[in-house]
Amino acid sequence: MERGWGPEMSVLSQSRPSQNGTPILEVENLVTHFPIRAGVLRRRVGTVFAVDGVDLHVYPHETLGIVGESGCGKTTLGRSIIRLIEPTAGVVRFNGEDVIGAEPKRMRELRQEMQIVFQDPFASLNPRMPVRDIIGEPLLIQGRTRKEVRPQVAGLLEVVGLSPEHGNRYPHEFSGGQRQRIGIARALALKPSLIILDEPVSALDVSIQAQILNLLEDLQDELGLSYLFIAHDLSVVRHISDRVLVMYLGRVAEVADRNELYDRPAHPYTHALLSAVPIADPDLERKRQRIVLSGDLPSPAHPPSGCRFHTRCPIAQERCTETEPQLREVRSGHWVACHFALGAGETLLARVEELHREVTVLAFDPIDTDNDGEAGHPVHSG
Amino acid sequence: MGEQRLLEVENLSTSFTTEDGIVRAVSDVSFHVDRGEVLAVVGESGSGKSVMAMSLMRLLPKNAFVTGWASFEGRDLLSLSEAEMRKIRGRGMAMIFQDPMTALNPVFTVGNQIAEAVRVHQSVSKPLAMKRAVELLDLVGIPEPGQRVDSYPHEFSGGMRQRAVIAMAISNDPQLLIADEPTTALDVTIQAQVLEVIITVQRATGAAMLLITHDLGLVAGVADRVQVMYGGRVFESGDTRDVYYGGNNPYTRALMRSVPRLDERTSDRLSSVPGTPPSLIRLPRGCVFWPRCEFSEQVCRTTEPELIQCGTDHVSRCHFATTLPEFEYGARLGA
Repeated sequence: MERGWGPEMSVLSQSRPSQNGTPILEVENLVTHFPIRAGVLRRRVGTVFAVDGVDLHVYPHETLGIVGESGCGKTTLGRSIIRLIEPTAGVVRFNGEDVIGAEPKRMRELRQEMQIVFQDPFASLNPRMPVRDIIGEPLLIQGRTRKEVRPQVAGLLEVVGLSPEHGNRYPHEFSGGQRQRIGIARALALKPSLIILDEPVSALDVSIQAQILNLLEDLQDELGLSYLFIAHDLSVVRHISDRVLVMYLGRVAEVADRNELYDRPAHPYTHALLSAVPIADPDLERKRQRIVLSGDLPSPAHPPSGCRFHTRCPIAQERCTETEPQLREVRSGHWVACHFALGAGETLLARVEELHREVTVLAFDPIDTDNDGEAGHPVHSG
Repeated sequence: MGEQRLLEVENLSTSFTTEDGIVRAVSDVSFHVDRGEVLAVVGESGSGKSVMAMSLMRLLPKNAFVTGWASFEGRDLLSLSEAEMRKIRGRGMAMIFQDPMTALNPVFTVGNQIAEAVRVHQSVSKPLAMKRAVELLDLVGIPEPGQRVDSYPHEFSGGMRQRAVIAMAISNDPQLLIADEPTTALDVTIQAQVLEVIITVQRATGAAMLLITHDLGLVAGVADRVQVMYGGRVFESGDTRDVYYGGNNPYTRALMRSVPRLDERTSDRLSSVPGTPPSLIRLPRGCVFWPRCEFSEQVCRTTEPELIQCGTDHVSRCHFATTLPEFEYGARLGA
């Protein structure tokens, strides 16, 4: 699927200011709450604290990965940043400019710079439009003529690994991977510098997923793009990100450089999350001791008091139920919101044992090489 | 050998007649499951793995055409009457589906549904069946099972629902559990919980398991043997280690290398498989993988390869199964 970067690239790769050092995107204390309404009068009876005070920044040419489970607010966060959902409070600055307070006209201009690619390539493309119009629409909206748009669309199709003839077809004629390419081409049409990718590969089969991840990396190198990559798959996020931010129930639990976060997680939630992901290597997988968190994810409408993770945390103490921990820097560039963060190299299991607590551990029998062994034997320890 | 064999399938083929043509979902699949073992069936969408399971359970729509032979505890599944088949479903083999909401009836309590499943196969009174439902909910780790037995499915979280489905599946001590993507719809931390329950239950009951999944990580931890499917065919099958580390099939290799791994410190390009999986209506001539295969040669375009023996109980559908260049699994990981 790799294609040479032909002259079509010139439609995209016009000079781009390089601003290394200063963030392209700054988010401060962003809050997005949704009212829960009930009854005939639609009275407000509660609040979903979807995003509840998030700070982050993205540097030029950087990929910031955002991971978390359902209800952690990662999707709402992405949409609030470009105001597809109006945030309740907080600051979003794009190249130093206030986004939240921008007038509608200015906002339209800013959206050329900030694009979004959605998860479901089946739902995000209009089935009644030929692909040519789907990709060209943002250009037309920005006032370009059809004549100008046509060669640009052909160029965009080539850039994402499709051929210009594909422009005449309709979305249903494409596979999931091809549709995601179309979604990416549409996002690229206005030459953005930041793309928010909301679960861009989770609906795809693994062989196709790799194609799209490679495409995204090529485009980033070629066009100097910055990505906010939102996903639940921790392996994919590690692969594509420079830095990774872990969310839990609307808050940032931890943020650090990719390998720092995955090799030395300081937040017990991050540790448990990583521990829960299976690794496709039988010998290694059967040596691991995977911690199984008990309980369900609390509802973002009723986040627990104090540290939101304390109801599931195997090392929580009294203080955690009362005081919400703030993000603090434990190592250079490594921020964690936990009163009792794990040290470098310290495992969650070791801390659990130190505290004489109990936790469920999922461990499998090693494979018997004589081939009569039974596999999959969970043991409980602690 | 005979004692050990629980399920034996030979030359199973399933096709569907549709407006667009005949969809050949499963083609000539043979395999077996021994008592107590875990066989993982791995493949991408359209590989035929789910249709294969549904063919064995005889749960396919009317436009499906199934041929071949499948023996479960000595009985020919494909020629049994519907009444006899109903006795096997649930009691002999039971299914755990991906989406627990489709497996549970929203208008009955969870306890009612489990009790009902018990009473289909066992002549016990309603109160006794309810008592059994509470025990089963306890076994799958539902807190306060005595109260939760009266809950409706919508009052359960996704993980709890999947636990209830597992409870229902084991309610009649089946010999074979067929789990079709049992954790795919769940959050990562809940996946680990449900996997723990499935494995605990499987060990406790001694049931064999046919685990259908696309998750190579899940398989690595739990499967005794692995069967890789592509385009409705078995592409490789063997002991888990042999399939993961042996690399005797180009498709299996490609699959293993295209998945980013959690323990991967480098971010080098993934080796992606070019192209898309084949249309099951118009399968390519010759080997169905050749248009995407890095090793394909002239013979692959004309002749479909047989399954070739490349070790003890290890077969691969590739003309070059025994002569492929060395495969170093995990070579990309700069560990």
